[in-house]
Amino acid sequence: MWPSVNNNNVHFLLIGTPGDRRVTLFQEALTRLDLPPAQLISYQKLIAGGAALADLLTPTTVVRIESPGKSIETERLLLTLGAAEPDPEGECYERLSSSTLATLPYEKGRLLPSRQWYLGFSALMRRLAAQLPTAQTMNCPADILLMFDKRGCHALLDQHGIDVPAALPPIHSYDELMVSLRERDWSRVFLKLAHGSSATGTIAYRFSGNRHQAFTTVEVISHAGDFRLYNTRRIRKLESYQEIARVVNALCRQRVHVEQWLPKPTYAGQVFDLRVVVIGGQAMHTIARLSHSPMTNLHLLNRRGNLAAIRERIGPERWQAAQHTCERATNLFDSLYTGIDLLFSADYRHHAILEMNAFGDLLPGLLYHDQDTYTAEILSVLSILKEQKLCSSTHAR
Amino acid sequence: MAIDHKTHFAGKTVIEWEPGDPIPDPTTTIPRLSGNPYGNHPSWDEKFLEFLADLASQTVTGLVFGPLTESADDYGNKLVTILVEHRESIQHLTALFLGDMTFEESEISWISLGDVSPIFKTCPQLEHFGIRGCASSYSSGLHFGILQHEHLKTLIVETGSMDRSVIHDILRSHLPALEHLELWTGSENYEANCTVEDFAPLFTENLFPNLRYLGLRDSEIANDLAMAISQSPLLEQLRMLDLSLGWLDDTGAVALLNCPAVRKLEKLDLHYHYCSEEMVQRLQTLGIDVDTSERQEPDFDDGEEQRYVAVSE
Repeated sequence: MWPSVNNNNVHFLLIGTPGDRRVTLFQEALTRLDLPPAQLISYQKLIAGGAALADLLTPTTVVRIESPGKSIETERLLLTLGAAEPDPEGECYERLSSSTLATLPYEKGRLLPSRQWYLGFSALMRRLAAQLPTAQTMNCPADILLMFDKRGCHALLDQHGIDVPAALPPIHSYDELMVSLRERDWSRVFLKLAHGSSATGTIAYRFSGNRHQAFTTVEVISHAGDFRLYNTRRIRKLESYQEIARVVNALCRQRVHVEQWLPKPTYAGQVFDLRVVVIGGQAMHTIARLSHSPMTNLHLLNRRGNLAAIRERIGPERWQAAQHTCERATNLFDSLYTGIDLLFSADYRHHAILEMNAFGDLLPGLLYHDQDTYTAEILSVLSILKEQKLCSSTHAR
Repeated sequence: MAIDHKTHFAGKTVIEWEPGDPIPDPTTTIPRLSGNPYGNHPSWDEKFLEFLADLASQTVTGLVFGPLTESADDYGNKLVTILVEHRESIQHLTALFLGDMTFEESEISWISLGDVSPIFKTCPQLEHFGIRGCASSYSSGLHFGILQHEHLKTLIVETGSMDRSVIHDILRSHLPALEHLELWTGSENYEANCTVEDFAPLFTENLFPNLRYLGLRDSEIANDLAMAISQSPLLEQLRMLDLSLGWLDDTGAVALLNCPAVRKLEKLDLHYHYCSEEMVQRLQTLGIDVDTSERQEPDFDDGEEQRYVAVSE
């Protein structure tokens, strides 16, 4: 059984999308711990301004901000919110006007402007932070925003001496990419949407002499003199540099982050990286994500690997060092938990953090000391509450 | 299929070596030296010099070489030049493996090899030699020349594309001690061009009297090779025949099945193949250890049958 939880006063306020798997799993974890269900505020209501959060807060409320999930409506609303937001970097990325968005038909897999989505999401998170000045939160809007900015997050980790792949300064086209690569004598990179999630909008590209090769989840389709981006579940391999340039140029209309493509280690005929969930400062739930392609993200139908055997090959000292790196990285943030994409080098000797995911704790069924991620997070909250150390949403970094 | 790094070579465990590490026990292990050009690591050249500077490195019997730099497009030339330059430090070695890279580190066809014959002059005591990379005109080819090597017991060429000239050189070489011959022939898409005729001397002449293991792997001509070897007296001396990773189907398998000498093998390795399920069952009645795992089904593209060797690109 679960440890006896005697926190009758605590109640959770959850910002998420009704019916989303993450919301359900969190509520189930509360029920298992004999805690009352969280009060759910939907993103849609929040965006519409219909939720007076301040009225809902009590001194014992704990706020948890969940991923907006896969809700198409929420994505549209955030894009619409973003349409009115000026871009602090200047207007160099793709935009859709609110009127276009209002009539835009839904197309499966289509990638809508991710920078604009991020501007909308940022506006919402700022609004949220302003409404929760003194609330206790499991995760902080400022952290979530930084983790949804791959460039910014990479820079923060790098500044703090945490091993990350070397990155390029901002580039805006394939030609700029090639100039930048030749200057550094690099021949292999991962190019990702700065504000994308999982493998959305990524391309792994390498060349040797006049041979080019890229793996991507993106398809560029010409449409009425312009082009549109689509996400594919099946990884495409490209070998013509013209075709690769077309994808890179299309992605550059969003904001992109480019870093060296570190070779992944091989295990049992597949390559892998790791997802490590750090909760309350401790690396806990960990899975190996095996793949036949350079993209290991789980929603691309990849399978979980035999972690025990992989750990044994890495060895206890290096394993601990990697866990420590994940914990150090998480300590740069105020949030209670993060999901970290961790890579070992091909020789299993070194490690680097590829990404930090604000909502990277969705690992259904994975137990650490008999607890799933949600249960471990709630128990961590309760123990920290005793010491009154949860972060406040207005914490300034 | 993704090739992993060598975990064993020449009967010993391969252990990655880095500056600061002790030289591992030379009686049971072989160090692997690989560059990590990502991040703040010493370059491969620095690592190699530091390795040689440790006097204990003189006790090792072999070396496995991983990637040197980010790109493998001058791999063979660069490595051979360095090895020849340091001949005094490595001339005693009996085991060398070059090109130990996974597809994430480099596609096999992007690992350029070139002329490796100076290595055999540099290391006259070499007993085990293996190399992975492009052995065709798709890159700069692979050249052994005609070897005269009294001690060589193991010769391995792992490639996704073999040029017939490599086969010709090897089969004209004087390798009286050779016990393990492993040649991957690869895919025409990457300029592999060998045919079964190129292997004829191996099957008809007693070239390598001590040969116990023959691997003709990753081959689009696996059926032809299976049929030819079934007719060959060479089979009588082998303990292990390895036709894995290629296009072998029932045509080649039935020749093996009907060959009495096959039943005297210790092991027949056919894993990754295109045989029917029925044929797999029949092969399992041979009474020897037969690996028929990883059965493949051809793809059909516009009605045309497509097969793939396990490693090509």
